[in-house]
Amino acid sequence: MDLDIIPSGLAAGSLYALVAVGFNILYRPTNVFNFAQGDLVMLGAMISASAIAAGLPWLAALLAAAALVGVIGLAENFLAVAPIVRRSSASHAWIISTLAYSLIIDNLVGHVWGPDPIRVDPPWPFSVTSFMIGGVRTSSYQLALIALTGLMILGIEQFYRTRAGRAVRAVAEDRDAALLRGIDPDRLSRWSFFLGAGFAAMTGLLASPTMYASTQLGPSLLVKGFEAAAVGGIGNNRGALVAGWILGLAEALGGSVLSPGYQAASTFALLLAILLIQPRGLFGQPEARSV
Amino acid sequence: MTARLQIEAVDVGYGHVGVLERVSLDIPAGAIVALVGSNGAGKSTLLRAVSGLLKPSRGRILLDGADIAGWRPDRIVDAGVLHVAEGRRLFRQQSVGDNLELGLYGSRLDRAGQTARYRLVFELFPILAERRQSRAGVLSGGQQQMLAIGQALMRDPRVLMLDEPSLGLAPIIVDQVLDVIVRLRAAGTTIVLVEQMVERALEIADYAYVLQNGRVAGHGPAAELATSDLVRNAYIGAGHG
Repeated sequence: MDLDIIPSGLAAGSLYALVAVGFNILYRPTNVFNFAQGDLVMLGAMISASAIAAGLPWLAALLAAAALVGVIGLAENFLAVAPIVRRSSASHAWIISTLAYSLIIDNLVGHVWGPDPIRVDPPWPFSVTSFMIGGVRTSSYQLALIALTGLMILGIEQFYRTRAGRAVRAVAEDRDAALLRGIDPDRLSRWSFFLGAGFAAMTGLLASPTMYASTQLGPSLLVKGFEAAAVGGIGNNRGALVAGWILGLAEALGGSVLSPGYQAASTFALLLAILLIQPRGLFGQPEARSV
Repeated sequence: MTARLQIEAVDVGYGHVGVLERVSLDIPAGAIVALVGSNGAGKSTLLRAVSGLLKPSRGRILLDGADIAGWRPDRIVDAGVLHVAEGRRLFRQQSVGDNLELGLYGSRLDRAGQTARYRLVFELFPILAERRQSRAGVLSGGQQQMLAIGQALMRDPRVLMLDEPSLGLAPIIVDQVLDVIVRLRAAGTTIVLVEQMVERALEIADYAYVLQNGRVAGHGPAAELATSDLVRNAYIGAGHG
């Protein structure tokens, strides 16, 4: 067995974890699972890749893509989610409407950018050129991606300890009780859609140096991100990180020990095994119940 | 600081089902007003309309003369009307301290003001200070009720509406909660009290309204209502009317 799978598996798993965190950011205050999340990631990758190709610095491209995609997320809330939730908070029609929104993004991006992948170089001083460290082949970008993901998820968890973050958790637990304490769930939903979509855009750019920016990015990351979110426990970001890493490693292992053709099958088998033992995911909490 | 709440000819319903019809109440500033009546008379519905969870289809709700009917719940909280809902609706996954902290959401108090709120709540309910780190979900029923009231008190309410605060509590805890309500009135808070322990409620209330089948069946000073047939009839006569 080749130890190279460890950094490459962790780096790919970090991206899955970031997609899962994007899901969670939206899910926590709204209880809506955004099926357009993968396409928001893809759109962020395309916008920032084009901006970098046009000569914009990395960080500026990142911020521009996050802001633009954030607004598109806000529009999604306005068009596809808020009208449904307003009519009945128990309705699940958002499954269809967010899926429809994702298809619209997908089609538009196909028209604007075409099918060709765009190469994106990592930001200075990182590189995807591999080197050997302790007998393991990796690249500085892989290592930076793994570290950055860990730091970002820690940072987000810190946010949930602030008053605004607690309010998000309160809305998730009991919407009416939150209303009576002066919390406006609609306002938190809007912020969550803006930030969740912006976070998706950032994930897209971070994925581009290793996966290329292309319309293919959406569907593949949607499924992997969903797997990471489900295995980690929906709504749990630390769980998403651990689950993303497990999935990335399993995928890399399946590809190297078995054959690349078994990659998807081996991760799915692992996913099913974990969910059979822990139906709510690795870190899932039993649902809140009012007595 | 204290405020008068007037409810004028309010109609409230769920969908097409009317629950309250032409309900009018006058709740003087700094008084305890009890709202009594059998199950389904519309007491909780009335509180939900005042706090903005339900929109009245007709009528006005005046807070010191300003019509707050139809406002968003967060604006009504900002205006100083706090509603402690039936069933101790807390954030059970979060600690006692975090629940109180959430009570300050949207508050414009400065740090000293916030500290003063914590001090007041811990003085009224010392057990909450002891259990500050515990998850709200593991508290006893009485402690949860104290936390629910404490959470509302963090926003320094001008009008505090309590829905069945004694429900399911041991008698000694009921005494303690009613005691706190009396102390809050002494501090100038206007109190609307929905309570199934009618005698206890009328003991501490200044004035009382009897709701029956979504209408005001009668009202008067609490001491007079306590000895009148009106209250008894409201319970026995539910379903007629």
